[in-house]
Amino acid sequence: MDDKFDCIIVGGGIAGLSAAMTLARRGLKFLLVERGEFSGAKNVSGGVLWGTRLNDLVPDYWEQDAAFERFVSHRRLTFLDGTSAFSLDFKSAHFNEKPYSGLIVLRSKFDAWLASKVEEAITESPHPDDSLIATNILVEDILLKDGKVTGIRAGGEEFHAHSVILAEGVNNLLTRKIGMQTAYVPGDHMATGVKEVIRFDRKVLEDRFQLSGDAGFTNEFIGFASGGVEGGGFLYTNQDSLSLGLVLNMKSMRENLGDSKKIYDVLSDFKSHPMLQDLLKGGEVVEYSAHVVSTGDMRVMPKRLAGDGVLIAGEAANLLLNSGKAIQGMDYAMESGILAAETVAEAKEAGDFSVKTLNEYRLKLDASYIMKDMRRFQGAVNFLHSKEMFTTVPDVVNDFGRRFFTVTNAPTDKTPTMLMNAVNAHSNLWTMLKLAVKGGRSL
Amino acid sequence: MSRTSIAERLGKVRYVNQARTDAKPHILVDTAICNSGCPHQCTTYVCPANCYVKDEAGKVHFQFEDCIECGTCLYACDQGAVTWNYPDPEEGRGVAWIFG
Repeated sequence: MDDKFDCIIVGGGIAGLSAAMTLARRGLKFLLVERGEFSGAKNVSGGVLWGTRLNDLVPDYWEQDAAFERFVSHRRLTFLDGTSAFSLDFKSAHFNEKPYSGLIVLRSKFDAWLASKVEEAITESPHPDDSLIATNILVEDILLKDGKVTGIRAGGEEFHAHSVILAEGVNNLLTRKIGMQTAYVPGDHMATGVKEVIRFDRKVLEDRFQLSGDAGFTNEFIGFASGGVEGGGFLYTNQDSLSLGLVLNMKSMRENLGDSKKIYDVLSDFKSHPMLQDLLKGGEVVEYSAHVVSTGDMRVMPKRLAGDGVLIAGEAANLLLNSGKAIQGMDYAMESGILAAETVAEAKEAGDFSVKTLNEYRLKLDASYIMKDMRRFQGAVNFLHSKEMFTTVPDVVNDFGRRFFTVTNAPTDKTPTMLMNAVNAHSNLWTMLKLAVKGGRSL
Repeated sequence: MSRTSIAERLGKVRYVNQARTDAKPHILVDTAICNSGCPHQCTTYVCPANCYVKDEAGKVHFQFEDCIECGTCLYACDQGAVTWNYPDPEEGRGVAWIFG
């Protein structure tokens, strides 16, 4: 009798839980270890879960008490300077169709719900008593034998398995420990997200943001929001609160912040913008949080995502993309967790958990939208790092907005003249044209 | 909305083992490195939980009790002063997010 687990999953976030769900459905015996008191207790995101994959994992999730806050039905991208806001705004009835294409979530609630669905799947699986989710336990080490991963050490005890899926999140200490990621990852292509959850009376929130039922609103911000630091802001509507925050590049923070302006001051400054003041009026801060987040720059990714007996999923593999349209991390976690688990299931059928079989995961990822998009939009990631994008461009856009939308009792310039004047007030045509060409190619 | 101070913000965080006075530190900082020629001492302004502070003499001090496990210092410190680990669920500090 083989009393080993087929798989041990490290981390009960979205990647780990999606892997667990898949393994339970495929009839494999697994142990998922989560260090938080419950799944979600340690997780922070903006956050929107994009795409429809949740409906494959938990069919008709909207009828299953799914702990999402609202579905995305209205989106806005806003350029800010110190006093103005110029937005691209899109609202469409097609967003209201199920399965929804974006879900606004609070991780502490969402992950706990997803874990409860995995528990149900375990009960219905061939191993209801042998597969389990163990919480409040920290995985201290990975067991290695002749270069092959054979299990974990947690709580001073050893647990053995044919395979281990590392879904430990962006601060991937174990991935580094076994040499699949460099021991030190510099801040150049990493960011920190800081966020407040701001509570409102539900009716006030729904009236202010024109929300019907469970419909929700997302707003991304560039310019003044990030206070001269590379990055941007976000605002998402929850059921009776807003998630408001910033994503700030670490190297740029090192260079642009200091004793008189610290990371949380940038968040306060963002909230002091006149547009934000109007949106936030009457709200009460009920939680402050922060977390490191990848930017989508592939240079920080682990060189290998599969080894003998081991696979890396979710943000532990830096699978995340901020292409300017959306920040996709949670859907990548879900997709990669599923693909890792499917690879483990195939390895079990083949009776071979060596890198030869497990490397199929890398091929599946490469063929999936994750790696296709990450490769396709590396230019966009780079483009968004251009200093002009979070400094002069928002200034030009708002200057133009002021000229275009202000009516005076004096002769009015034609629109191209207004645009040229706005460009020349903050930059020059050549710089803006170069940027437009770069943007046109990369986006 | 009035400006929220960092103390007020951290006051909203739910920490685990909050009552423990002898919690085991999960991050060790060799401040001798910070205080002997680090060109930026950036942890004192990039840490979202203000765990790294500079005194009047410009010396860096660290405390782990307010840490919200974000990981920023693990990357921001490029001088090798930060040894970062996850808190022990039983003996350490750390967060249990209400919303996340």
